[in-house]
Amino acid sequence: MTLLARLDEAKVARRQQPLITFNGATLRLGGKTIIENLDLAVRPGEFLCIVGASGCGKTTALRLAAGLYRPSGGAVTFDGQPMLEPRREVAIVFQDYGKALLPWRTAAGNISLALEACGIPVRERPGRIAELLRKVGLPGHAEKYPAEMSGGMQQRLQIARCLAQEPTTLLMDEPFGALDAMTRQGLQDEVLSLTAASNTTVVFVTHDLDEAIYLGDRVIGLLPHPGRIGIELDVNLSRPRDQLATREHPEFLRLRRQLFDFIKATEH
Amino acid sequence: MIWRIASFAVAAGFVGLWQLIADLKLISPVFLPGPDRAWTALMRGFATGDLTGKLIGTLEHMAYGWLAASVAGIALGALIGSSRLMRIYIAPSLEFLRPLPVSAIIPVAIAMLGLTQGMALFVIAFGAIWPIMLATIHGFAAVEPRLYEVARALQMSRPAIVFKIALPSALPDILAGMRLSLTVALILSVVCEVLAGLDGLGHWVLLSARAFRSADLFAGVILLGATGYVTSIAMSLAERRLLAWQSTR
Ligand SMILES: Nc1ncnc2c1ncn2[C@@H]1O[C@H](COP(=O)(O)OP(=O)(O)OP(=O)(O)O)[C@@H](O)[C@H]1O
Ligand SMILES: [Mg+2]
Repeated sequence: MTLLARLDEAKVARRQQPLITFNGATLRLGGKTIIENLDLAVRPGEFLCIVGASGCGKTTALRLAAGLYRPSGGAVTFDGQPMLEPRREVAIVFQDYGKALLPWRTAAGNISLALEACGIPVRERPGRIAELLRKVGLPGHAEKYPAEMSGGMQQRLQIARCLAQEPTTLLMDEPFGALDAMTRQGLQDEVLSLTAASNTTVVFVTHDLDEAIYLGDRVIGLLPHPGRIGIELDVNLSRPRDQLATREHPEFLRLRRQLFDFIKATEH
Repeated sequence: MIWRIASFAVAAGFVGLWQLIADLKLISPVFLPGPDRAWTALMRGFATGDLTGKLIGTLEHMAYGWLAASVAGIALGALIGSSRLMRIYIAPSLEFLRPLPVSAIIPVAIAMLGLTQGMALFVIAFGAIWPIMLATIHGFAAVEPRLYEVARALQMSRPAIVFKIALPSALPDILAGMRLSLTVALILSVVCEVLAGLDGLGHWVLLSARAFRSADLFAGVILLGATGYVTSIAMSLAERRLLAWQSTR
């Protein structure tokens, strides 16, 4: 067997391996167990949604996956290695886009921050910035400051900056929670098409059950105190999804019902 | 615009009042020259170059002291402000040193450095460093934590985090501190010139007073006022340019 063939085989084997794993991951903060014994595997290219009542540990789980927290027990791995520090191939979209953007840099400057960190040469940056702005539907806004942009535009900008890292994985924490319904639906479809085109793995936290089913290949529901998995649903709805047809599909409605019942039971 | 016209009118009113008091000799001309005589003295001082030299001397003292204070104040402030531990350990000492009037430092500085330019530089910088350093500490301590997480996610280097995140975020505070220090630096320049006989407007004013040349004295005082005014306007312009992004809020 040639070396090349063996390498190929190894690659295929890797691809079938999960990209992100939680192996009995536990996190204690300030003497409180926030996540306990969490087992979870995210496949490469998968769109995984996490739902759960407020305070059940969704953000904490995502921060563990991002390497912003280190587990107090168990392990969190990325691509087979322990995730101890954030890495550039994993991009994080924060819910509070207003705080995550540099107010003193224009839209172009904010995207440039990621390009600079990735060591992209100066002369390549303008082209990349223009392309990224176009990708997220912000062409012609390069010179605007975040304060001059609407919430939806700011969140688009944050997504563009994350895409500038050329991540293999996108971690999103209620990215559309603060946006109105119309903007939200538009951005849902954009994220779906952007991540499908680049086969990006996505872990998406939301408390909107419809959003979770609409976007995900799989939906996980967390139980609170401490956070652990309470329900796991595979979403067998065809792609590309459609805001009307998908949401009216009997399977969508069935999953929605199941998820609602779960959340209700956890809330008492 | 209206306000600017009004403020000019008030200033003109004061000058008029001054002229009136001088003309009526309510105060002896030996002590109070009219604006006309002060102006003539000012022009003469510039024509002969005497006053120009003194002005440059004061501007130099002020600029060197202020720049030294800015560099040291920003560096120390950044160091202390970016670490919680440093803030806890060092802040109390700062609170002890800060309210010390600089005049208490002057004899110490003179004893150590003599009546020299070096002494002046030290005293001016020591007085001017506080507003800058305290503002920088505050600015660095108040950086949005989320931005540090963005920096971590991008695996930015420490220098990149300081120069691209912390420093620009703290810049409004730093510039406000630098503006306050500008006035402190001017005052201390004059004080040092008076005490150490260094070339500058402070020395000019002192000599004019001793020789009862009240017109020259007033020319010097006017020039000091103008220096404070012009440098503060220059600072505002610089702030407006550097903080252009804030005007869009
Ligand atoms: N730094 C911290 N120190 C102590 N407790 C924390 C810390 N961060 C979060 N918690 C607690 O951990 C629990 C889970 O928090 P987390 O933010 O992960 O919840 P969440 O599911 O994202 O909630 P939400 O839907 O409101 O965003 C909460 O009870 C919270 O109070
Ligand atoms: Mg949360």
